[in-house]
Amino acid sequence: MSDVDLAVSRSRRHTARWAAISLGVVLLLFVAVLATRKSAADKQAESPLLGKQAPSLTGSGLDGSQVSLASMHGKWVVLNFMASWCVPCREEHPELVKFTQRHQVADDATVLGVIFDDTQPNVRRFFSELGGSWPVVDDPGGHTALDFGVRGPPESFLVDPNGFVVWKGIGQVNADGLDKLLRQGKARGA
Amino acid sequence: MNATLGTAGVWLGLFGALVGVVTLGFGLYRRDDKLLEAGRKYTWVIVAGAVLGVVAMESALLGHDFSLKYVAENGSRQTPLLFTITGMWSALEGSILLWAIVLAGYLAVMVHHFRTRATDPLVGWATLTVFVVAGFFFALMAGPANPFRVIHGAIPTNGPGPNPLLQNHPLVAFHPPMLYLGYVGFTIPFAFAVAALVTGRLGEGWLVETRRWTLFAWGFLTIGIILGAWWSYEVLGWGGYWAWDPVENASFIPWLTATAYLHSVMVQERRGMLRIWNLSLLLATFSLTILGTFLTRSGVLESVHSFTESPIGPWILTFFGLVVFTAVGLIAWRGDRLRSPGSIDSPVSREGAFLANNLLFSAFCFVVLLGTVFPLLAEALNGDRLSVGGPYFNRMTTPIVIALLFLMAIAPVLPWRKASEEVLRKRLFWPAWTATIVVVLCVVTGLRGLAPLAAFWLGTFAAGSAVRQLVLSARRQGWRGLIGRANGGMVVHIGVVLVAVAFAASHAYGHTHEFRLAPGQSAHLSGHTVTYLGSSTVKASNKTSVTAQVRVDGGKVYAPAIQQFPFATQAIGSPSVKSSLGDDVYLTLAAAPDHPGGTAVIGVIVQPLIMWLWIGGAVIAVGTALAAWPGRRRRPTAPVSAPVEVETPEAPPEPVGVTS
Repeated sequence: MSDVDLAVSRSRRHTARWAAISLGVVLLLFVAVLATRKSAADKQAESPLLGKQAPSLTGSGLDGSQVSLASMHGKWVVLNFMASWCVPCREEHPELVKFTQRHQVADDATVLGVIFDDTQPNVRRFFSELGGSWPVVDDPGGHTALDFGVRGPPESFLVDPNGFVVWKGIGQVNADGLDKLLRQGKARGA
Repeated sequence: MNATLGTAGVWLGLFGALVGVVTLGFGLYRRDDKLLEAGRKYTWVIVAGAVLGVVAMESALLGHDFSLKYVAENGSRQTPLLFTITGMWSALEGSILLWAIVLAGYLAVMVHHFRTRATDPLVGWATLTVFVVAGFFFALMAGPANPFRVIHGAIPTNGPGPNPLLQNHPLVAFHPPMLYLGYVGFTIPFAFAVAALVTGRLGEGWLVETRRWTLFAWGFLTIGIILGAWWSYEVLGWGGYWAWDPVENASFIPWLTATAYLHSVMVQERRGMLRIWNLSLLLATFSLTILGTFLTRSGVLESVHSFTESPIGPWILTFFGLVVFTAVGLIAWRGDRLRSPGSIDSPVSREGAFLANNLLFSAFCFVVLLGTVFPLLAEALNGDRLSVGGPYFNRMTTPIVIALLFLMAIAPVLPWRKASEEVLRKRLFWPAWTATIVVVLCVVTGLRGLAPLAAFWLGTFAAGSAVRQLVLSARRQGWRGLIGRANGGMVVHIGVVLVAVAFAASHAYGHTHEFRLAPGQSAHLSGHTVTYLGSSTVKASNKTSVTAQVRVDGGKVYAPAIQQFPFATQAIGSPSVKSSLGDDVYLTLAAAPDHPGGTAVIGVIVQPLIMWLWIGGAVIAVGTALAAWPGRRRRPTAPVSAPVEVETPEAPPEPVGVTS
C-alpha cells in the first residue's frame, strides 16, 4: 500500500462507524416517537355529533315497554351499540355491568343499549346469560345506528345530563375508562 | 380440541426456536460441531409446530368451531368454502400464523440447502438469526396475538364471517400469501447479512447465495403488490389500483431497498465494492418489513386496510428496536474493517449507473417512508393531526421515476469501468430513435401532456435498450441467451416499463362520469356507449345484492352490484369491468333504483392501458424466474474451504475480504 493509500484509508477508517452511530441515534428517536403514539383507535373517535344534542332515540325495550333517551335527562348515559353475535361486546359486557353497579346508589349514570343488527330474543338470552339490567332499545332497520353514524358494534357514546354527546368510542369500553370520562365531564362543569 | 391442538403447535414452535437458539449459541461459543449439527435439527420442530397450528386453525374454520374466538369473529356458516379457508388470514392473529408457517417453510428450505455446511459458523449464525425471528412470531402467538383463544361462557352458534371486503373476490386467496412469501423471505438474506458481519466474512461467496434468496423474495413481493393493486381495482370500486395508503407503502418501502440491493450487489460481485452498503440494504429491507408490520398492525396510522386493531404494537416495536439495534451495532462494530478497497473509475460506467440507481432508490424509499410516518412525526412535534395524501407522493416520486426510467435505458448498454461517448452513441442509436418515433406517433394521434409523453419516450427508450440486449444475447447463445441474471433482468425491465407506461397513461387519460339512467337509456363517455337495462335484487344466505345490467358498446352485458352482508352496515360496491388491451370500461352501481323500474346512478370510468399493468406484472414474474434460473454449471454444495465459484465465467473471482 502506498503512503497516499494509507492516508486515505486512515481518514476513512471510521466512516462506517460514525454513519452507523448517527443513523442509530436518529432511529432511536424515531422509535421513541412511535412508542409514545397513542393508537388511532384510543383517540377520541371523530364524530360530527360531538358537542351537539344527541339525536332523539325511542324504541321498544326488551320487556316491551317504550324506552327513550329523553326520559334519562339529568343522568349521564352511556349509549352502547351492541349485538349478541359480536365477540367484543360479549367481552365488554361485564365492564358495563360493573359500571352500572358502581353508579346504582348515586343514580347519576346509566347505560342504554341499542341493538345493532340483531333480534330481541337473541339479546334477551345474551342478558340472561351475562347479567345486566339496563334498558335496551331495539333498532329495526338500523335507523338509530345511521343517525349516530355507527359502523359496527361495539361503539359507545357518552351523553351528558343535558343530552349533549360528549364522547364517542369505537371498540370495547371499560368501567374505569368510563368513570374517568365522567369525572372529566363533571369537572368541566356539565 | 382444535384449540388444544393449535396451542400445542404454537408452544412446540416456540420451544423449538428457543432450544434451537440456545443449542446453536452454545455450539458457536464452544465451536462444537456436534451442537451445531444438533441445533439446526430444531428447524423440524418449528416446522411441525407451525403445521400443527395451521391444521388446527383450518380445521376449526372449516368445522365452524365457534368456541375459538378467532373463528367466532371471522367465520360464519354462510361464508363460501374459499373464503372460509382464506379466513385464516382475514384478521391479525391468523395472519401471524401465516407468517409463522411461511417463515418455517423458508427456514426448512434454507437448512436443507446448507445441510452439508451446517458446521460452518456463518451458516450457524444465520440459522440462529432465523430461529430468533421465528421465536418472536411464535411468542406473539403464545402471548398477545393468540389465534387459539377460546370463548368463555356460552359458545355462539354462528359468526359474522370475514370482513365483507375480504369475501368478495378470489384474489384474497392469492394476494396475502404472495405478499407474505415476499415479506418473510427477506428474513433469510437478513440472517446471512448478520452472520457475515458477526463472523467478519464478507468476501466469500455467501453473497452470491443470498442474491438468489433475495431475488425469490423480491419476485414474490412484486407479484403480491401487483395482485394487491389488481384486487383493489376489482373490489374497491373507485377505479384505482394504488392510493399510497400506509399499508400499500409498507409493502412498497422494503421493495425499494430490495430492488436497490439486487442492482448494487452486482457491483460487489464484479468489482468487490459497496460491501457495507449492500449489507446495510439487506438489514434495512428486513427492518422495514418489521416497521411496516408495526405501522399497519398497531393501529397508530389510520388506513383502509386496518381490518384489525390489536395489542401487539408494543411487541412489534420492541422487536423493531432490537433488529435496528443489532443491525446498526454490527455495522458500527465491523463496518470499517470490512470496507472494500477500490473506487469507481468513471461515473459514466456500469458501476456508476448502479450507484446512481441506488441513490435514486434510497431517495424514493425516504420519500415514501417520510410521507407514511409524517402524520406521526407532526403530531409528536406540535400536536397537529394531518394526513399526507396522493398529491405529495405523486409530486415527489414522479421526478425520481423519470430519472430511474432514464437510467434503465442507459445502464444496460454501459460497459464496466468506463464508457466512451462513441460506444454510447452506437448502442443507444436504435432505442432512442424508436422512442422518438413512438412519441411523434402519439402526438400525431392527438395525445397531449408533458408528463405522460415523457414517460412514453423514456419507457420506449428503456424497453428498446432492454430488447437490444436480449436480441444480442439470444443471437449469441440461442434460447439460453434469455436466462441468467443479466438477461432475466432485462425481461424484468420490460415488465417495469409496461407498468410505468400503463400507470402514466391511465392517470393522464382517464375519464370518470356518473350517469343517472332510466332502464333502456344510454350514455356516452370517451367513445364508449353504456346502456342501462335494469336491475335485480338477489338474496343469498351470505349476502343481499342489487345488480344492475349494463350493456357496453352494444355487446356483452356487465353487472355492477351493491352488496349488503349481514352483520355489517357497510354496503360493498362490486364493480364490473370490461377489459381490453386498449382500455378498460369500469362500471359501478353508485345508487340503486328506489323502486323497481326506477332510475339508477351508474358510475363509468374509462382508463387506457390498465390491462398492461397486470401484463407487466406477469412479465416481471417471468423475468424474475429467468434471472433466478440456475446457470449451466451448478455450484456444488462444497465445503466453504473449497474455492468459490463465480456465476459468470468471464467474471474475475471475487476478491477475498480484508478482515485480517
